[in-house]
Order: sequence, then C-alpha cells, then structure tokens
Amino acid sequence: MAAVAARRWLRFRCKVCLTLTGQRAGPCGQVPNCRFYSGSATVPKVEGPNVTGIEEVVIPKKKTWDKVAVLQALASTVNRDTTAAPYAFQDDPYLIPTSSLESRSFLLAKKSGENAAKYIINSHPKYFQKDIAEPHIPCLMPEYFEPQIEDVSEAALRERIKLKKVKASVDMFDQLLQAGTTVSLETSNSLLDLLCYYGDKEPSTDYHFQQSEKSEELEEAAEENNEKSKKANHQFGNLWRPKNNAERIFALMPEKNSHSYCTMIRGMVKHRALVQALNLYTELLNNRLHADVYTFNALIEATALSAREKPEDKWNNILELLKQMAAQKVKPNLQTFNTILKCLRRFHAFGKMPALQTFREMKAIGIEPSLATYHYLIQLFYYHENHSKGSSLIIYDIMNELTGRKFSPRDPDDDMFFQSAMRVCSFLRDLELAYQVHGLLNTGDNWKFIGPDHRRNFYYSKFFSLLCLMEQIDVTLKWYKDLIPSVFFPRSQTLIDLLQALDVANRLEVIPQIWKDSKEYGHTFHNDLKEEILMLMARDQHPPELQVAFADCAADIKSTYESQDGRQAAPEWPANSLNSIAVLFLRAGRTQEAWKMLGLFKKHNKIPGNKLLNEFMDSAKASSSPAQAIEIVKLAGAFSLPICEDLARRVMANFAISQEQKEALGNLTSLTSDSDSDSDTSEDK
Amino acid sequence: MVCAPSWVCVLAMFPRVSVILPLHPLCHFPLCSGGSEAAIVLLSAPHGTVRTKNNVQRNFGTISVNYSKKDEQSAPTHGISKEAESQESVKENTKKDLLDIIKGMKIELSTVNVQTTKPSSRRQGKSVEATIGSLQKTLEDAPKKRTKSVSPELEAAASAVADFLHFDKQTSKSELLRQLQQHEEVSKAQKDGERTKISVSNIISDMKVAKSATGRVSTRPVHQIQFDKGTDSFMGQKTDDLKKSLRKNMLKGKRLNIFDLKTVTEEAPETETAPSLWEVEFAKQLAMVNEQPLQNGFAEMIQWTKEGKLWEFPVNNEAGFDDDGSEFHEHVFLDKHLKDFPKQGPIRHFMELVTCGLSKNPYLSVKQKIEHIEWFRNYFNEKQDILKESGIRLN
Repeated sequence: MAAVAARRWLRFRCKVCLTLTGQRAGPCGQVPNCRFYSGSATVPKVEGPNVTGIEEVVIPKKKTWDKVAVLQALASTVNRDTTAAPYAFQDDPYLIPTSSLESRSFLLAKKSGENAAKYIINSHPKYFQKDIAEPHIPCLMPEYFEPQIEDVSEAALRERIKLKKVKASVDMFDQLLQAGTTVSLETSNSLLDLLCYYGDKEPSTDYHFQQSEKSEELEEAAEENNEKSKKANHQFGNLWRPKNNAERIFALMPEKNSHSYCTMIRGMVKHRALVQALNLYTELLNNRLHADVYTFNALIEATALSAREKPEDKWNNILELLKQMAAQKVKPNLQTFNTILKCLRRFHAFGKMPALQTFREMKAIGIEPSLATYHYLIQLFYYHENHSKGSSLIIYDIMNELTGRKFSPRDPDDDMFFQSAMRVCSFLRDLELAYQVHGLLNTGDNWKFIGPDHRRNFYYSKFFSLLCLMEQIDVTLKWYKDLIPSVFFPRSQTLIDLLQALDVANRLEVIPQIWKDSKEYGHTFHNDLKEEILMLMARDQHPPELQVAFADCAADIKSTYESQDGRQAAPEWPANSLNSIAVLFLRAGRTQEAWKMLGLFKKHNKIPGNKLLNEFMDSAKASSSPAQAIEIVKLAGAFSLPICEDLARRVMANFAISQEQKEALGNLTSLTSDSDSDSDTSEDK
Repeated sequence: MVCAPSWVCVLAMFPRVSVILPLHPLCHFPLCSGGSEAAIVLLSAPHGTVRTKNNVQRNFGTISVNYSKKDEQSAPTHGISKEAESQESVKENTKKDLLDIIKGMKIELSTVNVQTTKPSSRRQGKSVEATIGSLQKTLEDAPKKRTKSVSPELEAAASAVADFLHFDKQTSKSELLRQLQQHEEVSKAQKDGERTKISVSNIISDMKVAKSATGRVSTRPVHQIQFDKGTDSFMGQKTDDLKKSLRKNMLKGKRLNIFDLKTVTEEAPETETAPSLWEVEFAKQLAMVNEQPLQNGFAEMIQWTKEGKLWEFPVNNEAGFDDDGSEFHEHVFLDKHLKDFPKQGPIRHFMELVTCGLSKNPYLSVKQKIEHIEWFRNYFNEKQDILKESGIRLN
C-alpha cells in the first residue's frame, strides 16, 4: 500500500516538476524514495550545479501505469481468508455454499442468471438501447447476432460466416453459385473453416460454464472400455457425416489451395472421420500442395486413433508422418508433440519408450514442454495404479525439472497436470513429493492451473488424505484449518481419513469438532462417517469431561438419525450406531437416555451387543438398582442372547434382590437356555 | 457529463503562473483582462524554457524505461502481478497479450459486427445529419449570422487579417471564417461521435494485435536446457540410493532424431494472415485453461476494468479519452508548430489566436490540430502574392 501511495505521489510530483524549470528537479531528487532508482550505471545523470555526492534523481516526464496496475498491487496484498468461503461464494449468508454440491449449484445459478440476462438483452436489443454509461460500456449493450446485409452478395456471405451462422452461410453460398457469382477463394476457405470446425452443425450458444465437465473422464473411460465410437459420439457431439455441406462445397470449389485441404483434414479429424482425413491427405500430396503443422497434428491424431492396427504399426505411421514433416520443412510445435504423447497413452506399456524419445526430441529441438506434456507422461507411466512394484520413478525427474518454474497456458490440457501429479504422489505415498507438487502449485500464478472445481477437489482430497496418512497430527490439523473450507469442501472419505489419523495419534478429543464441521459441509446424513465417529468415540473409556462432550456429540448424531426418519420412509439405524450411542450416554451418566436407546433396539429390531449389556449392568450396579439389572437380563432374554445367563449370574451375585425377582430371573435363564422364545417372556412381563 | 481532458484544466491554471514568468520578448500585446488575449500571452511566454525542457525530457524518456524494470524487481509481490511477469520475457509477453486480447474478444468480438454495422451507422448518420442540418441552417442564414458560432475574438482577428489583404477583403475574411467554423463543427461532431469511434477503434486495434501474435513457436537453443543432476535431498538416504540406481534419466537417452535443431529454430518469414477460426477458437480454449474464480474484490475490479465496466485507475477526467498516447503538453503548447510563420505581424497574431483556440479544444486530436494549422500555412502560402502586394512578408 505504501509503495503504491509513494508511486502515485511521485507521479503527481513529476507533473508539478514539469511545469518548473530543469533546475528545480534537483531538490525533488533528494526525496528518500531512492529505492525506485538505485544507482545503476545506466541511469544518465543530469548535469547541474547542485549535484552533491548524492545520486541525482531524474524525474521521468510521465510515468504511465497500466490501467490495472494499482488494482493488481492492491489485490496482491489480499490473502486468502482461511476461515471463510472463497471470495466467489460470498453472498447473502443464507446462500453461501457449505458443500461441494452447493458450491457447484451456486456457481451454476450465478452463471445461468447472467446468461439469462444476456439472452434477454440479445434477443430484444431494441428495448436496451438507452446508454446511460459515460464513458460508454460496450459489454453492457446488446449484441447483434442477426445478419444485416440482406442482398445476395459475397459481403453478405462473409457477414454470415463471421456471425457463425452455419446454415445461413451455406444457403448464401448456394444462392451465389446459382446466381453465377464466383466466390473468392478466401471467402470459400473461411466458409470451409466454419463448416469444418463445427462439423456442419450450428455452433451451440457460447455460454459455456467452466468447460464441458466430464469430457476427459469420459474419454479415459472410453479408452478403458474400448467403446470408443459410442462415447466419442457423446463427447464430440456430432460426427462427420459423409456428403455433408463441407464436402459438397469443397468439391464445388473451382480452385483449392492448401488451406482448403488443411481445414478439411482438420475438420474430419475433429469430427472423427479418420479414414477420410488420411485419404484427403494423400489427395493433397497428389496435388503437390503442402500441409501446415496443425494439419500434421490432426493427422497424427487420426493415425493414433484409427482402429484395428497394432500399436507398433501406429507408431511407425506416426514416425512416417513426422519424417514427412521434416522433409516438407514444416516446423513442429508444442501441439505436435503433445498430440503424440497424448496418443501414446493409448498404447500403454508399448508407449513408454516412444514417449521418452518424443520428449527428448522435443527438448533437443528446443520446444519447451508445457504442463500438459508432463501430464501425458505421468498418465502413461502411472497408468496402472495397483502396480506398486517397480513403478516408474519418472515423476521425480519431472518434479526436479519443474520446481520453481512459472507457467503460462500453452495447451488446453495444461490444467490437468497438478491433478495427475498429486494422484501419483498419493499412490506412491510420498509426502515429500506431494509437498513439492504443492509448492509448485503455489509458485507464482501456477495455482491458476489447478483446473475447474472437480479437479481442484480431487487434488486437495488426495493431498489431504496423504497428509492424514503420513504427516504428524498437529501439522495435519494445521492443514485442515488452512484448507477447509476456504479452498475446498471435504468429501466424507476425506473426513474419515482425518478421523483415522486422529485415532492413530490418539487425539480423539477433536472428534466433536470434526462432527460439527462435517455437519457444516453437508455430511449430516452420511452413515459411514457417522458410524466411524461413533465407533471411535465409544471404543475406549475416556476421562469424564471428554465423555460428556462425546455424549453431547452422540446426542447430536442421534438427532440426525431421528430427523432422517421424517425425511425418508425407511429409516436405517445401524446396530453399531445404536450400541455406540447407548454406551456413550451410559459413560456420560445420562442413564435415562441410554435406557431410551435400549427401547430403540427393540423398535428397530436390532440386537444390542454384549459389551453394551455389560456396561448397562455396570451402571445398574453403580446406581444399585436391582430393578434395572433385572430389566437388562429380561432384555437379553427377549433377544435370546447367550449372554443372558452370565448377566443373570451377575445379578444374583451383585445385587440384593427379592425372592420374587430371583424367581423371575430363574425363569428367564431357564427359558432362554431352553431357547424357548418370546411368547413366554412376554407373558412374564 | 463532458470529460474535458486535464490539460484543459492546466490551461486554466496558467493565469496564476503568468505572474511569475517573464514575458516573452515577442509578445507585444498588452495584457487584457479577459479571454484569449491573456491566454496567448501565457502560451507564448514559456517559449524560452521549452527548448531546455526538451533536453530534459529526452532523459526522462530513457529513465522511465529503467524505472519500470526497477519497479518490477522491487515490487514485494513479484509473480502475483501479471504485468511484472509478462515483462520478463518477450515470449511470455506476447502470449499474455494474446490472452488478454482474447479474453477481451470473447465479449467484444461479437460487438464488432454490431458496432460496425447497424448502430454505428445509425449514430454516425445522426451526427452527419446534425452537421448537415447545421450547415444548411448556416447556409440559409445571412452571411453575417453565419459567423455566429465562431467566437467574436476570432472573428475580429480574421477580419484583421483580411484587412491587410486589401484585395478581395470580403472573400478572404469569409474563407478564414469558414475554416474556423468547419473546425468547430468537426469538433462538435467528434464530441458526439466519440463513443462509437472509441469502441470500434479499440476493438479493431485489439484484433490486430491478436493476429500477429498467434502461431508463434517459441524457440530456445538446446544448450540452455539445464539438467537437474538428481539431488534428491527429500528422499531418505537408503531409498535415495535405491531409487537412483533404478532410475533412468528421462532426459538422457535416444531421441527420435527426425527433426533438426537448425531447421526448427531458423526464423521463417512470418506471413501476416488473418487468424482463422481454428486459431481463434484454440486461443479461446487456452484462455479458459487458467480461468479461476476470483480471489478477492480487487481481482473482481480488475476484471471489471478489463471488461470496461469500471473507470480506469488512476481515476481522472481523461477516462475514455484516447489520443494515440499524446500528452497534455502536445495538446496545449502548439506554438512550436508556428515556426514557419512570420515572427510578428497580423498573420502571427492571427495564428496565435488560432493555436490558443486549438489548445482549449478537448475534442480534436493532436493530429487534427496540427492539420488545422497546416491548413492555414497552405492558405497563406497560396495567397502569397496577395500578401506581397499588401506588404506582408511571409517567411
């Protein structure tokens, strides 16, 4: 802040100095702000009478700052608030999301609101003509998507192409042809661009949200299942139809240059007409034209994707293409190598050696790999997670290479790297490596490459689980406070990991807090988590204060089960939870509630555990209430538990009971030992 | 609201300064209490200092470059500010530029069509109509009334010049006046049409940059690549050895040997072609790669600034005023363009009044102002014989 203020001050000062004569610049120079221009030989000195040992400061005529420089300086002073939800979610307190599901719907709602407004404005531009902003704000004004040129001309065609009106452009082209006008090569090419890019379909409205969410996951699934055609259809939206408008117009074009061929090939590959693409490439060569680097990239993809060939053959075909590139003096670019590596992932084990060679080639000819390159390598070398034996160590090389570097986006897959690197860390169980990856993520602006929401969650879940597994509990808890909820909302598995870490480190007193948090993050109805919490709390005896806290927590969890009753038709009370809650109540001295829990066992037709019954007996003994003790025996009898006899014996030994009660007990035990059942016991009652 | 650039305000400040400044020897005019006369004196006064200042300014220019570099280094949060990073290498710079542009283009691209087609033409049409209308009005009016829109001082000066040209007194006066009037109309029209001009030109200029920056392959000689010689301090000693022995360096070994470093790195003549749809869409995709939700309110303000929704920092009255980066002194101090005119006499007087008027005009660009002065130069040159006849020396 101070620095900014100083700079602004300086700037103001400069303006003043300008109106003064050169002489006056001297005094201005003796300002303590020397750090902006410490003595370097390159600074030319101004000759003047008042150069007195102290370095002369030359005030610039005008210091022009970028329009966002001030804001950037200010923004850099703001750190993440670890206690709050991310800034993007800050809204009406009621609306602030507390779970990953909510955060997603929050963002979607916000975005769709914007889109709806934009849609209304754009579809009724005439109502939104009033321009109240001064200076004018173009992005708030309606956009015109309707073509303005009505007549049939090449200009009209160009306009329609620019507006990405696929069908209208094709119609206009046909009309022009019918009228006998020849369309210039340039315009036809851009029409082909349009048709090939969108596969002869109208482009979907540009209101994207964070990219199509599961494209990559889908693709990977497709690779695994070898159901490429089906899923690819899903992913790429539309496939290349033979004899579509692009092919028709391409055939109609009187003259074609390499651009026409290239765009056709790229379009075919994009929309998965691989064989046609490769054929068209031969045609291009026959016409003595040259393909550009993007086309070669597409061809490499086509070669790798084409079915029914062995990996070796495919690889040889790719090499052949690369040799042709070199022969035609086409310079490969980053995408060339990334495409190769991406495709080599499909070859699994076979792909490893070629991938390394490709990587070295790329380094050797001075093409700096992008994050996506490393991502592909990692994916290739760590394809089978369960292969823990002899797994590759290439990740260490990669991290050594990358540590401390800053990245800018160069490949659409650049945002996949951190996710896959963290996956490998978690699978190698290497915490140091995970810290290294995390350090890289926090270098410069690299955090921007973490990708959309689901990838961020994946990354942090893996990272935090690894921390739970390997790190000291205090450090883990520090990370817990730091990351949740300001960076991500934990999944229930993450919390279970944390609970296990707490168990290992014998820090169970934190559990009630964790339960509170998990309620906050939307895991109230997650049975696994609740059972885990209850199990950990009930397993051992603890000091009284802790038992009280645990009992409160247990009561809270119990209430979630009960409220669930209202929500769902079939309430599911796991026996373990019932046991644990009852035990916790007993230990905290909340006998009344514990007895109520016993009632629940009957209601839900669950069987209380031996341990629990023994504890009940202990508590009955502690309060020296023979009636309770007998009740327990009765209950055990009702469930025809083998422990019944033991309990009866204990009652006999430890309690002063009346003759009647003794008889009742005798009845119970004999009946149960006869394994005669409930009808009699109910009579007894 | 009319945003007159700040140099107009500077002009307003001058009367106070004039007390201190010595009068320029060339200024014969007595100080009048009002208006342009006073301003002329003030404008011509700092003649002497201007030249010395020019020297200093040149130094300033070089220094400012150093400054920006220093600032980057001294900035406490290097790396967070995008700017600092982007200046680190030209390669990155262009890329960032491209990205910024593309981010901008997402919103503006479709506006281009809009702005260039319907509304702009309508709006321009309106302003043209307005000018035509006013022209017609002035034409219809009597010639006396025609001068109404020109300030009386200028009119007086024009007639003074015309007085010297004995020959065809009335025509030369009207010619001068018409030029003045036209000038005023142009500024008025530009005042109206400013918005359209700005939005369209901004977008177009943006697109030009995007074109040149796409598809540039980054090249770096091999020998700059540094290999890490495996200092795995992070691994335990035992596993360290084990892993090292197992490990093959991923950088060392056979490569494909298909491409040659020389052919790849050699600079190909860059052909200037419009980016195709493929390139535009790819750039959009790239821009989306590191799109993240905003981190704080300032980041949001940065985004708004980039979208044009927010006044640009520093907030001043030059918002939306873009005159090819020319600065206020170029707008205000126009005397240097009068070098070719006589040092004294009625033409000088007239031209000083013209420059005075121009220096106050916030709606013309510097280029237009110079063109305006140029017009007078040509005019007087054409009328040289008449001037000679009346005993006025030009040059």
